[in-house]
Amino acid sequence: MGADDVLARTHAFTIDGLRARRVSVEVDVRPGLPAFTVVGLADAAVREARERIHAAIHNSGFEFPARRVTVNLAPADLPKAGAGLDLAIACALLGAAGQLATERLEHVALLGELGLDGGVRRSHGTLAVAEATRRAGLTMLVLAATDAHEAELVDGLQLAVVERLRSAVRVLEGGAPDARSRRSPRSALAACAAPRALDLADVRGQHHAVRALVIAAAGGHSCLLRGPPGTGKTMLAQRVASILPPLGREEAVEVARIHSLAGARLVGLPRARPFRAPHHSITAAGLIGGAQRGRVGEVVLAHHGVLFLDELAEFARATLEALRQPLEDGRVVIVRARHSAVHPTRFMLLAATNPCPCGYAGEGERCGCSESEVARHNRRLSGPLLDRMDLVVNLQRSDGAGLDGAATTSSAAARARVLLARERQARRLAHEGIAINAHMDVRAVLEHARLDARGAELLQRARAGGLLSARGEQRALRVARTIADLNASERVRAADLGAALALRAEAGLGDVRAA
Amino acid sequence: MTSAPREPYRAHARTAHGACRECLRRSWLLSELSPVLDSLAPRRERLNASLALPDEALIAALGGRRRESLRARHAAFAPEPSEPGRGVEAICRHDPGYPRALRGDAAPWMLNIAGGAGARLTRLTAGPLVALLGSRRASDYGREMARTLARDLTASGVTVASTLTDGVGGAAQTGVQDAGGGGIAMLGGGLGVCPTRWRTLYGSLTARGCALSELPHACPGRRWGLPAGERIAVGLAGLAVVVEARETPHELGAAHTARALGRPLAVVPGRVTSPLSTGPHALLREGASPIRDAEDILELLYREPRPPIRAGGRVAERSLALEPDLRTIIDLVGSGADTPDRLVAAGAEPSELLHALTELELRGLLARGENGRYLPRHAF
Repeated sequence: MGADDVLARTHAFTIDGLRARRVSVEVDVRPGLPAFTVVGLADAAVREARERIHAAIHNSGFEFPARRVTVNLAPADLPKAGAGLDLAIACALLGAAGQLATERLEHVALLGELGLDGGVRRSHGTLAVAEATRRAGLTMLVLAATDAHEAELVDGLQLAVVERLRSAVRVLEGGAPDARSRRSPRSALAACAAPRALDLADVRGQHHAVRALVIAAAGGHSCLLRGPPGTGKTMLAQRVASILPPLGREEAVEVARIHSLAGARLVGLPRARPFRAPHHSITAAGLIGGAQRGRVGEVVLAHHGVLFLDELAEFARATLEALRQPLEDGRVVIVRARHSAVHPTRFMLLAATNPCPCGYAGEGERCGCSESEVARHNRRLSGPLLDRMDLVVNLQRSDGAGLDGAATTSSAAARARVLLARERQARRLAHEGIAINAHMDVRAVLEHARLDARGAELLQRARAGGLLSARGEQRALRVARTIADLNASERVRAADLGAALALRAEAGLGDVRAA
Repeated sequence: MTSAPREPYRAHARTAHGACRECLRRSWLLSELSPVLDSLAPRRERLNASLALPDEALIAALGGRRRESLRARHAAFAPEPSEPGRGVEAICRHDPGYPRALRGDAAPWMLNIAGGAGARLTRLTAGPLVALLGSRRASDYGREMARTLARDLTASGVTVASTLTDGVGGAAQTGVQDAGGGGIAMLGGGLGVCPTRWRTLYGSLTARGCALSELPHACPGRRWGLPAGERIAVGLAGLAVVVEARETPHELGAAHTARALGRPLAVVPGRVTSPLSTGPHALLREGASPIRDAEDILELLYREPRPPIRAGGRVAERSLALEPDLRTIIDLVGSGADTPDRLVAAGAEPSELLHALTELELRGLLARGENGRYLPRHAF
């Protein structure tokens, strides 16, 4: 170890799943053959930082020390990923080489990728990094101009925007940061580019399905849309996001953090709920996460929003099986050889499927499938997932009315009803720590979904008639509670339960025709 | 099958296998001739005529280039030690317990019975017996009718015979199971190769009814097997009922067999525009009796009005006893408004509709069919 002035230390963050983990960046410069070594489980992007930093330092008018340079990223056992560490390494290196005063360096966090010309580029996960910086008690976060909007979402944190490595050095020596770019141009652009919101008023006919979707949205219930091709399953599903209430502030921050970590570019806090519709070729790791360290799955990206699985029967069975924990627990625990993570997954599940392989079951002669083919098709769905569908809605080709038929409702009207119902739920469930009926556990169902006398008698008969399993009963009661909430009724009436039962999956869907 | 000849069996002696050697040999011969019989399956009269031939004539007629080798193997035939299979009893026409109805030329020589229930077959065939026939690609309506008829007939003490297939046959056996009784089901292949999806029904048939096959235990399902099974079901029956069938020689083959055997024919009418009801309607024009429910069948069987023992009366009568709003719904469903949207369009009150549908389903008056379409059913 040489004299103190050849060692410099600063802070950066690496993304580990949904968390930003603090990394101390230490740089030691000592006499010896010129070398540049990075230690501390760095991934390829970090190792390649050497070349970028080398060029950036030269091109910013500084001198790269022609000595032996060692960069240590601590803690040593935490794998570091991404190019967001470039700026921190470069500044610490300049500090160790005596080209930058080191007093401030130790109390700030730096985030950004370097270009060869010394420009600072954005890095993903800014929001999480900003939150972590404040938690770590560091005085300032130095970051790229393009990341500033995201970091601004965190209150009480001093931000320094830098466009080039040279500006970063100036800031660290007490100078002024660069001017922030105006937010307006891009957000104006984003507003223009946003597609016209999808509206339920576009849906002609299919009144039954629309009513069912309003129920699903009001209580956050999972819903399967089943019907022949061309009946509007996908069209309806895409419009569910339009009747969900906007994200609350806390939810929005959570969603923003997740999406920023996944690399999305945020312009202010999101208001609309996420709508994720992965293709059916997705793998279990793609859906759940954990394919590689820090990569979150679609279920996590759908947190507080909607996960839509179109052509449910085409998904690999293992993929659908993997949905069980996220659906039941509202979180997913991923354990891999070198890491483990817990991710929140509170989403509303929507799925669509054909009723048989050819799609035309129930359309008379048009369906060419044999009974055994239909049974096999239904078996693919049954079991794990169908058992967790709160609502099953069958869509039929609308006859007569066709496209001239009237729309059931507009998204605005439906959302107003959903909002009112959700307010009732939130008030009732506040002391349970949940906000919607779909999240009620057995005890909460018992307490909040009390049936009137006729309802209790109906439930009793449904149970005796073999229409309901124990789990099915819980689901039916939750849905009945939501229907009552939509009707602004504190008590769950027999009619509410009756409607909920009519919307359940028919008993033993998988084997009803194979008998 | 090419093993060295064993000690010759005495003619018509019951062997350790249950049936006599000649009848087991017949079963073997049929399985050997299956490819040729398959080609006859669409022409029902020729198939039935072939199955009525004695062994020698059958080899001569269908053996083709294999005649000589078939004759040699026929002469040297010894039953496979594995026949008739575990838990299966073979019974042949030389057995005093063999159903009397199957003594004709066209009838099978021997039958393999699952569950070793030869005595049960004798008992089931002693009383009144109805064959339920129809398309393997039946509609919800056809399946529901077959199921309800079978259930009510079984409950009233009538044995139901059908093939174990998709469509009408399987639905009929499900109905028998609903009533907790035992029916007679014909398989298209050997008993050892029953398809997985029929396992539940096969199990209940083994426990209470009879699953039958005239083919060796391990013989895979053949195309001619089901038409041949229909001839046995019809042969056993005192009345053949066609539930749903297209007007084609293939789908109406069983009806023609019934007519050839002199069994009375009855049909379940449907919509005249439905292709699946063209068969019954054609038979209706030729003099078959129309059937609305099990009560009509009982009347035909006993030649006098006779209420079914546990069935719940006719649709019209039962819906009279319902609350008016439920009655409206079930009448609308019965007249074709089979989805919630159609029901609302037909005048049902949307806010009460789903509750009413659940109520009717719970009372067993409605069922859900393909893609969730509602259809009326007769409650127990």
